[in-house]
Amino acid sequence: MALISRIKRLVVEILSILHDFFWARFAKLGPQRLPPPQESSPRDVTARHKKMEEIRLPSLNRPGHAAHAKRCLSALPDSKTDLDASRLALAFYNIGILDLLDILNDGTTLPQWQRDGWIEWLWAQQTHGEDGSGFRPSPFMVHNPPGSETKYSNYDTPHIIMTYTALLALALLRDDFSRLDRPGLIKFLRACQREDGSFTTTPKDGESDLRTLYCAFAISAMLDDWSGIDVGHAKAFIASCRTYEGGYGQEPFCEALGGTTYTALASLYLAPPSPGSDPLTTAEKNQTVRWLVNNQASSGGFAGRTGKSADSCYCFWCGAALKILDMSHLIETKALASFLSECQFKFGGIAKCQDEHPDPYHTYLSIAALCMYPPSPLWEEEKPESWKFPVLDPLLNARVETAEWARRYISGK
Amino acid sequence: MSTEDQDKPLFSELPEWADVVPIPQYETDAPIAPILYSVEYKDATDYFRAIVKAGERSARVLQLTQELIRLNPAHYTAWQYRYETLLSLSSSLEAELKLTNSLTFKYLKTYQVWHHRRLLITHLRTPLPELPFLNRCLALDAKNYHTWSYRQWLLSHFIDDEDLWKGEIDFVENTIADDVRNNSAWHHRFFVVFGCGVREGEEDRARVIKRELIFTKQNISLAPNNPSAWNYLRGILDHNNLPYSLLTQFVKPYTVPLNPNAVDIVDLENPPPVKGAELPCVYAIEFLADINEKAGDKESLLKAVELWKSLANEHDTIRRKYWEHRVRDALQSPASA
Repeated sequence: MALISRIKRLVVEILSILHDFFWARFAKLGPQRLPPPQESSPRDVTARHKKMEEIRLPSLNRPGHAAHAKRCLSALPDSKTDLDASRLALAFYNIGILDLLDILNDGTTLPQWQRDGWIEWLWAQQTHGEDGSGFRPSPFMVHNPPGSETKYSNYDTPHIIMTYTALLALALLRDDFSRLDRPGLIKFLRACQREDGSFTTTPKDGESDLRTLYCAFAISAMLDDWSGIDVGHAKAFIASCRTYEGGYGQEPFCEALGGTTYTALASLYLAPPSPGSDPLTTAEKNQTVRWLVNNQASSGGFAGRTGKSADSCYCFWCGAALKILDMSHLIETKALASFLSECQFKFGGIAKCQDEHPDPYHTYLSIAALCMYPPSPLWEEEKPESWKFPVLDPLLNARVETAEWARRYISGK
Repeated sequence: MSTEDQDKPLFSELPEWADVVPIPQYETDAPIAPILYSVEYKDATDYFRAIVKAGERSARVLQLTQELIRLNPAHYTAWQYRYETLLSLSSSLEAELKLTNSLTFKYLKTYQVWHHRRLLITHLRTPLPELPFLNRCLALDAKNYHTWSYRQWLLSHFIDDEDLWKGEIDFVENTIADDVRNNSAWHHRFFVVFGCGVREGEEDRARVIKRELIFTKQNISLAPNNPSAWNYLRGILDHNNLPYSLLTQFVKPYTVPLNPNAVDIVDLENPPPVKGAELPCVYAIEFLADINEKAGDKESLLKAVELWKSLANEHDTIRRKYWEHRVRDALQSPASA
């Protein structure tokens, strides 16, 4: 058994070296592209950008994207060592890709032993201690052998972003959450909230901003228990991150950014509604919608900040923010899909923009954006079957079936 | 990798580490996305786990964490343990800041390197030399989000340090002059002028608002199709509860094709579009439509509708659905009756 697994690892290693080698080669061989023009006029280029009805999409390379995700799940080359401290998030993105492509739970694509193995690995990251329970990024800092009933030290504590992604990853795999330490989770959230209402990544340490706040809100929503956080305080922190442009910065005083605007809005709309008050005033909502739609470039893709070039991940962050505000009908879906189709890497995976290398983060978020904004209308030549997607829950960032599973089994109610 | 790196011995080969029993990484039978670590990284983390388990705080811990951070700058525990070790050894944080400088240049987009810097400066309370350092970071990447966030954190954290603040308006003026489309710089200007209290010499708010309006209009006249400047213009008005209609006269020439016979005039209040400007400008049309919508009478509202339709059908077709939504929204309002 040990020999087989060694051989398997060797094969994966060889494949990944070959993969890296070809990546580097093709990156060099790719068409010489000029840097994005410093547009004298980013918007009044009607003549230059294609008319919507003239857009013809290639097919979405579903098998390629699934293979990319499976490759990443099986092993990563050492050039990805910087992901060591966020491996669980990577697991979520890759398993999520398979779910959005409708092959995770079809009963045929993945053998049961594989699913069971993943589930065991995920639960092995749940850890308990003085500041409650949650999930760590990977065993990268574990210094006691598995099975020894020790509490975590100050250096292998749970991590709030990893805890959110672990819960979703287990929901993706339809785990029953019988092993979840719910009271411990509540205690952990409490240990992470700071005086200003924000949350640190780990208890008493690490950076704190709107990303971590969103994770605390999403975890509370899945638990259907808000006793672990001071919601009013946290909402005040969100409000302090709002900028004059109508978006939200990562922390107070910072520039409006697509990703953190999503986390701000998703948090506000996940929170238990306060009677008689909308999370935003009409004027605020109008201003935010204006900023969000202005981030859509003439290429159809979204930029994360005013005046920056489009990046596939912001198609999700800005697109989901608009969806949360009930404004998804304002988006040109074919232009969006056209941009994302150009971000596809020829051997699978989706990059942040054309001619860049793909990664699981951009691949997952691109497909999640397409779930909210499936292109239509489609001609027969555009392979409509490749552009069919499940419906996405924009607040939890998972397909509706998975989000429902998470809310039901994580709350245990 | 340089030859110097390749010649570096592993910790397991060093006699001064012989007393430590390395701890391997424990994995389950079927791990998700295992990373095929390099020999150097595996070696360093094996020793790091052992050191952390033993709770050792020593000079060699600083050597080990420095190496580990070089191999993986996102290893947040290595940073955390390093910082605590520095404090417990009463090591020079000034020297640490110097080392962090080179790491910051190298890993501009890594959260941990900036977090470490905040901890050091919070402890050292020496914000002033940070400004020239940050200028060097911005020379590498003028829109780097971490660099700007750190600058805003620094200024707000040391809010009463007049020396720290006094050159900030000039700095942001120059940064915008370098690239008028750098939205991070415009945002920073808003933070400095309106977002973080009132500085000495800025107490006359009417004068400040006037200065900001002239500055922004001037920049729009030189590059009309710049969304950052238009957003800033809206920001000044919104923040100070001023009506958009104050700017009707300024905006109008930007909403129509460029007049080839216009003569050069110097008008600070209403600077005209520069020669060769690509007009009409979408942002100006949108602004004029907003003025008309706000006016409240039916005639103005119909004028706004006409402007939005021109954006939807001609000047800004990617946002056609948004402009049509604005039309529908306005026509449902009481003013349209």
